Amino acid sequence: MLPPPIETQGLSRRFGLHHALRDVTLTLPPATVLLLVGPNGAGKTTLLRLLATALRPSRGGGSVFGHDLVREPDAVRRVTALVGAVGGVYASLTGFENLAFAAAMTGAASGRPDILTLLERVGLGPAGGQPVRTYSQGMRRRLVLARAWLLRPRLLLLDDPYGGMDAEGADLVSALVGEIRAAGGAVVLATHEWERGLTLADRILALVDGRQADAADVQGVSTSRLRAPVGGAA
Amino acid sequence: MNGFQRAGAVARKDLLLEWRGRQTVTAMVVFALLVTLLLGFALGGDSVRASAILWIALGLAAMLGAGRPMLAEAEGETLEALLLYPGSREHLYWGKCAALGAMLLLLWAALLPLAGILFNLDLWDRLPALLGVGALGVAGLAALGTLFAALAVHVRGRELLMPLLLLPVSLPVVLAGVRLTEATLTREAPGLWLGLLAAFDVLFLLTAPLLFEVLMEDA
Repeated sequence: MLPPPIETQGLSRRFGLHHALRDVTLTLPPATVLLLVGPNGAGKTTLLRLLATALRPSRGGGSVFGHDLVREPDAVRRVTALVGAVGGVYASLTGFENLAFAAAMTGAASGRPDILTLLERVGLGPAGGQPVRTYSQGMRRRLVLARAWLLRPRLLLLDDPYGGMDAEGADLVSALVGEIRAAGGAVVLATHEWERGLTLADRILALVDGRQADAADVQGVSTSRLRAPVGGAA
Repeated sequence: MNGFQRAGAVARKDLLLEWRGRQTVTAMVVFALLVTLLLGFALGGDSVRASAILWIALGLAAMLGAGRPMLAEAEGETLEALLLYPGSREHLYWGKCAALGAMLLLLWAALLPLAGILFNLDLWDRLPALLGVGALGVAGLAALGTLFAALAVHVRGRELLMPLLLLPVSLPVVLAGVRLTEATLTREAPGLWLGLLAAFDVLFLLTAPLLFEVLMEDA
């Protein structure tokens, strides 16, 4: 039996005296999309960064596809991609150069035609040769999505992917999520726009003040139940 | 994907970013030229002082510019993405060290003709030896500069911290560089200084990547 994409036990992270995340225990089966909701400062980004091994847990632990977050971070990074709220792309490089650098760093078998095709796919074909500093926020998001596509992760961690995105960009998010789920991978989608996220998700985890407030399958969740911990409408 | 290719990709990216922005090299070149001119005029055009002035200018310029590429990664919020690429973080160190080394070597090559004019030195027939000495010293400065840039990247007051950290540790490299350049200019035997500088380079280049990996653990 294959290990689950995500398994955590009491996962916690503290920054000084502030508890950003406390005792999160969850198991995510393959081919599942987890919608992560909660108000600002609830610990959504911290959880994603812990799963991506950008942070080490202060207490507790977990694994991604059986690879321990602390003992095997490199193995976790080989199967995970974090698409952050902030781009992580070089403003002075072109879109093409950014993707070529990502391909070189990961050993992704992507030649020039593959990268150009990918840029076309995310709607950046004509802008692919321009420096990223000339891009709008939505275009930067599309480039970051293209990088995630290039890396072909088994676990995709999306932090507020709809910010600055138009309807076509949101469709790209859905397409990427759908591809990873179809391949047996898993996706964690953290967003304030949870009504949009609900169309993709299989499970929901609500965080409040760094704690698990609620967890359920999408089918069993009413809008009012979801709105309570999140603190407002979408 | 082997480490050599990954390090090459990081070095190429850093140099391309520097070529597009020209921030670090411009600051280092202007600063080193000013130091050389200032000390040259203040201490006189005596050729004996040339090697010391050259290495002081190079060392101070390295302190000014070494932290800049790493700081740009942190400010541009690209450091986390860089650290999350799978593979050893030593490769990131090697790439950043190579890019900084290339910039410092370029600076050394720019300083030599200026010193030739200021101190009336006949550099042409000693140029290969001078470039060799420069490369040895630059290797040590780049190894240390890249490590301390990683150490200071998340620290407040890093602009002050960098010289405070780098200056004392790079002293053996600068001192050996001065003595070797002096020996080259006067056609004397390098003595123990060549071995000393090479030993420092090997020590720094072997230990710094390991320390870099530890520093970047929870960056």
